[in-house]
Amino acid sequence: MNKQLQASKVRGSLRLAFHYDDQQTRMKVCEQQPPLKVVRAFALPEGGALVHLHNLSGGVLGGDELSMHVEVGSLAYVQLTSASATRLYRRQTGAAAAAQTNAIQVREGGLLEYLPDPLIPFAGSSYRQHTHIELAHDAGLFWWETVAPGRTARGELFQYEHLQLGLRISAQGRPLAIECLKLEPQHHALSSPARLGPYSYFCSFYICRVGLTPERWPDLERELDALAQELSRPGEISWGVSTLTAHGLLVRALSCQGRDITTGLLAFWQAAKLALYGKDAIPPRKVY
Amino acid sequence: MQTDSLAFLRLLQLADSALPIGATAHSFGLETLAAEGLLRVEQLETFLHDYLEETGMLESIFCRLAYRLAAQPETFADRWLALNEQLSAYKTARESRVASATLGRRFLQLVAGLEQQPRIQQALHLSKEARGDIHYSTAFGMVGSILEVAEAATMLAHLQQVLVGLVSACQRLLPLGQSQASGIVWRLKPTILATIDRSAAVPLDADDIPVFTPLLDLASMRHPTLTTRLFIS
Repeated sequence: MNKQLQASKVRGSLRLAFHYDDQQTRMKVCEQQPPLKVVRAFALPEGGALVHLHNLSGGVLGGDELSMHVEVGSLAYVQLTSASATRLYRRQTGAAAAAQTNAIQVREGGLLEYLPDPLIPFAGSSYRQHTHIELAHDAGLFWWETVAPGRTARGELFQYEHLQLGLRISAQGRPLAIECLKLEPQHHALSSPARLGPYSYFCSFYICRVGLTPERWPDLERELDALAQELSRPGEISWGVSTLTAHGLLVRALSCQGRDITTGLLAFWQAAKLALYGKDAIPPRKVY
Repeated sequence: MQTDSLAFLRLLQLADSALPIGATAHSFGLETLAAEGLLRVEQLETFLHDYLEETGMLESIFCRLAYRLAAQPETFADRWLALNEQLSAYKTARESRVASATLGRRFLQLVAGLEQQPRIQQALHLSKEARGDIHYSTAFGMVGSILEVAEAATMLAHLQQVLVGLVSACQRLLPLGQSQASGIVWRLKPTILATIDRSAAVPLDADDIPVFTPLLDLASMRHPTLTTRLFIS
């Protein structure tokens, strides 16, 4: 790597700890290294805290090494969202792939809602992300991620070099879900019927609450499945719901349009939050 | 490849699609793909090639991990359950996960009835006590090792059987003739070899195995809602 590229390489980090005190979730910013930044926590009903995650670069640049650590303390209720879509910029010749690691802990009775805008990998981008989420007893999680094919408005579809996304969710040390996708559209056709078929957007929405009786999950799967049938439109968008090996379920969608996914995710979140917590989902303040 | 003759004959039997473990009752989501018009005969070979590259790779790695674990008596009890838990976590579509676990348990029970091997009894006992899954690929790998079949032969036979099982399901779902089906299985043998080669190069930490089959996963998730079903999964 040449000196100029090395100089432009950044190591951003964000370390946030949330604790529940006096009926309110409070944020402590333990470390904040640009380009990652948070400004403040907004109070939510039920003592929650809403935080917008910012990237001051406007997106992830080739060679960036970013890390985010979030600890949700016992009984704390945290909602994290992005300020806008996460743009993955083209990698300059000779630059390393951009990388982000996320380490998340949700303590006993805590709840984390992670509701970012889609990830948009630009033509020529190269990016690796790995997320590890550890859930304690009675910890709750609503975690979604949506991946766009590129800048579709300019006809840019699957022109990125490399996109690697890994996710591991564990509860009390036991793995509940592991995902690792490594996409290289120039080498492996994503339109294969074994991969995306006719669709171009994909998303995963993990819904967990550790310690519920196992029978609750098939019941919730059936309930959300009815919603999946209602929201699916052949050739446009397809939704599915499945109980995980324990403590949660996964909602998955494939779509030709990103907007349809966002609308559906909000509907699933609303239904699942009501079923698991008896409360309404409160979407973050922003335009969808 | 040098394989002991008795072990070779046993492998042929265990990798036969007629083995009575119920494999013919599962499509692993293919039935939904066919019903929704997302998989046609002319796409089948490409689909299976890519399936082998993705899911075939994942299953091969776990088959190999189980094969090697079976030869490590001092760590077997600790790692057998964890290995299957790990694979269950990769299988986020419930029906396909349960299908794999059903076939794996039946496979191991069948072999336990044919061959007195303490390690097989131990694996069944551990999984029953912990109410844990036994997946087909891990059961196959472990049995291959215990029966002293060569590692490479075990991997190849396992993946060949996975492929034949899917093609057999497709013959009942799509207008796919026997000769066409045989041709597809024949032509995909180099893909099986390549997949096994690639899986051998992957570090065996089982934490970071890439697999991307969202359309098939979604098909498996949507399978319970099909109005008419030939298959359990």
